Amino acid sequence: MQQAEIHNYLQRYFQSNDCQILEDKPGYFMVHLTIDQDKLLMNRPFYWHYLEKTGGEPNPAKLTIITDPDRAPDDIKGEFIHFGSPRLRQIFEANKQLASYIRLFEDKSAGMTQNPLYPWLGLNVKVSFQCNRKKDVFLSLGLNLISGQIQEEFHDKVTALNVTPKIPDYSFTLSPLIMPKSGMLRLDRHIRSSLAFEDHTWAEEAYTRWQNDLQLLETFYEDQEKGESYETEKEALREQYEPRISIRVINGGLFYLSETAI
Amino acid sequence: MKINVDFDSQWEEGLLQKIQNDGPWDNWELFKLAVNVEKHMVVPDFEGLQAPKHLPQLKPLPHQLEAAREVVENMHGKAILGDEVGLGKTIEAGLILKEYMIRGLVKKVLILVPASLVSQWAYELNSKFHIPAVPQRKEYVWEACDVVISSIDTAKKQPHRDIIYKQQYDLIIVDEAHKLKNNKTKNYEFVQSLKKKFCLLLTATPIQNRVDEIFHLVSLLKPGHLGNASLFAEKFKGKKRNMNEDQRLKELVNKVMIRNRRADTGIEWTKRHVETILIDFTEEEQQLYNAVSAFKPHNSDSIGSAFSTLTLQREACSSREAVYYTLKKMLQKTENPEVFYETKLKPLFSLIDAIQVNSKAEKALELIKKIDDKVIIFTEYRASQMYLQWFLKQEGISSVPFRGGFKRGKKDWMKDLFEKQFQVLIATEAGGEGINLQFCHHLINFDLPWNPMRLEQRIGRVHRLGQEHDVMIYNFATKGTVEEHILKLLYEKIQLFERVVGELDDILTRLDIGKIEEYLVDVVGHSRTEGEMKIKMENLASMISFAQDIKKGEMDAASGNS
Repeated sequence: MQQAEIHNYLQRYFQSNDCQILEDKPGYFMVHLTIDQDKLLMNRPFYWHYLEKTGGEPNPAKLTIITDPDRAPDDIKGEFIHFGSPRLRQIFEANKQLASYIRLFEDKSAGMTQNPLYPWLGLNVKVSFQCNRKKDVFLSLGLNLISGQIQEEFHDKVTALNVTPKIPDYSFTLSPLIMPKSGMLRLDRHIRSSLAFEDHTWAEEAYTRWQNDLQLLETFYEDQEKGESYETEKEALREQYEPRISIRVINGGLFYLSETAI
Repeated sequence: MKINVDFDSQWEEGLLQKIQNDGPWDNWELFKLAVNVEKHMVVPDFEGLQAPKHLPQLKPLPHQLEAAREVVENMHGKAILGDEVGLGKTIEAGLILKEYMIRGLVKKVLILVPASLVSQWAYELNSKFHIPAVPQRKEYVWEACDVVISSIDTAKKQPHRDIIYKQQYDLIIVDEAHKLKNNKTKNYEFVQSLKKKFCLLLTATPIQNRVDEIFHLVSLLKPGHLGNASLFAEKFKGKKRNMNEDQRLKELVNKVMIRNRRADTGIEWTKRHVETILIDFTEEEQQLYNAVSAFKPHNSDSIGSAFSTLTLQREACSSREAVYYTLKKMLQKTENPEVFYETKLKPLFSLIDAIQVNSKAEKALELIKKIDDKVIIFTEYRASQMYLQWFLKQEGISSVPFRGGFKRGKKDWMKDLFEKQFQVLIATEAGGEGINLQFCHHLINFDLPWNPMRLEQRIGRVHRLGQEHDVMIYNFATKGTVEEHILKLLYEKIQLFERVVGELDDILTRLDIGKIEEYLVDVVGHSRTEGEMKIKMENLASMISFAQDIKKGEMDAASGNS
């Protein structure tokens, strides 16, 4: 993430959370947090507890955020935020917490005609391949809850549409034939079966390393009793090398889209 | 092959609940931002280092990055970091730890370091790596915090030991790991029993150990890598004393060890220039020195009295204030202070009173004015430190005091003041937890410690990575005193001041002269004649030179072989 991207990201984040941007200059900006954001980011539970008990006037913090120290004036005092800084990490976490489940309707603004919307289950997931090393893949899938069709890169496709959280006038939703619960199962199966086509050399190599080190361990304990420490070492090797794949949902939800949308 | 696949079902439960309750649903803009964030946080490759991207302010050196990459990619996260002193093993360990945390391979971490380095480690990991490492000071910390720093001595004791064994650590880091060379010790046994998914052992002196010590160290990391104890003993029994003599063993060890040498790093080290400045006492100072030399506080010839005489002599070479302070403490401790004062101290106190100038301080002032740049003055004594600060202030030169006992924050503040505002820093202690002052390259040894390591540490404050100038070292010694003896007979003989960073460290470790200071006190205090003292000093000097020659031979052999 470049500094300009971070600048842009942070402003969008704060604005989406109804925080007022007080000043926006090249290299830095100032934002007035809402009470909710203050509680989420400023880590001062005692202040808020005290305020609620005494009924005082809440005074959420103003943050000055520097995204480019070279361009920000020298007399500006604020927090320099860069990729990897703890504050950005914290905001990322807060962001994810606040954006797990969505329901959207496509707005075709198609005049007075009745407009049927088809239900989709959309999922954004992170697939991690892990042994003593790790890599991730981002996947976005959509399942048509009537036809059972599965669409890849679903998120990008929905982003290109005009969507709203409220059902538009003259639109109506079709009832799903596949229930969300079994929809989840279908997507799970789909991901698993596509994994079968992946190159798994990484896992085979890790397995070989694991077996090698196990053999060394056996040699080491040849001339002594295999006690508790032997078991500990063995378990440590399993944790170090054992290949596994984990699928974690980032976010997702229900999308009602017109027949030709995707 | 069959790989375990785990689909996290927690999200699904949430979804079904939302559907049942008809919301509330989240904001679309935030939803898109969250996807964006995840796309950035995804690490698409097994290879390569992510950590540097997250640490734009850290400027790691090429050999440090390479070490981190090698450990993660080829040593699978279990390694001995054995760089020579001063090459930044802590930076390497920090990079590796950060890499694993970013990739989500490591969450819970135990860092075992000498007690004196606990806060230094915490400070470095927090400030340089944004890793929330916490020194273990309260019992709940073991469970509540993810990255915990502790001394082995604390960790191995109950109730800590049992709590630690219950934690599931992903990474264990041990600093100064050469202390774990003996497998019979409690510390060794403690570290061995820990579950080590990933493990880093940091030591500057791995290869000069005897082969069985190497065996124990490697077995801690990767049991069986060097075979088992009986196989190993049979193979290397008696015939090989040193690892460098066995090519096969060396190759095996190198598979689990990173060892950068100063010479290989391509870093240009600046030179050290040493100037000895001999100083004449004033008549009054000389009288005080003579008087404390003859001073016998307890009318007996015990060892303790030789020691305290020497202490007073060394103090008299530094400042009258240092002598006064020690005598005053002596007075407080005696059972019959009035008598002691009348019979023993009164004459000394009047000699102290008679002293008008401090010859060394005058010389220091002259030098500071001439240098006209940042200067660090080291003294062994608090009293001299305070006097010097006062003295320089009279001459219009403001200075910053520095002591090992300062809290971290105060140390940093003092360093900052010195860097930005004041010309002079006066320090009493250089030890491990000190600060890095590579922006300064003039160092005055106002008096000399009797432990070469302490001297090396003093110099190491300024002569380190990042120093861009040659370092000027001025050694003050008063003519015709014990100080001159130490300087001329020992330090200059072994060319202590010209050495490169870390070299002395290696040599002294090898010689195993742990208590060099006590040895010197014995030589100076108990030699019956000056001739005897000279001979003993020369013996020590040649022993150190001898060890250096062996080391040189080994280095040549090592580079020739590999």
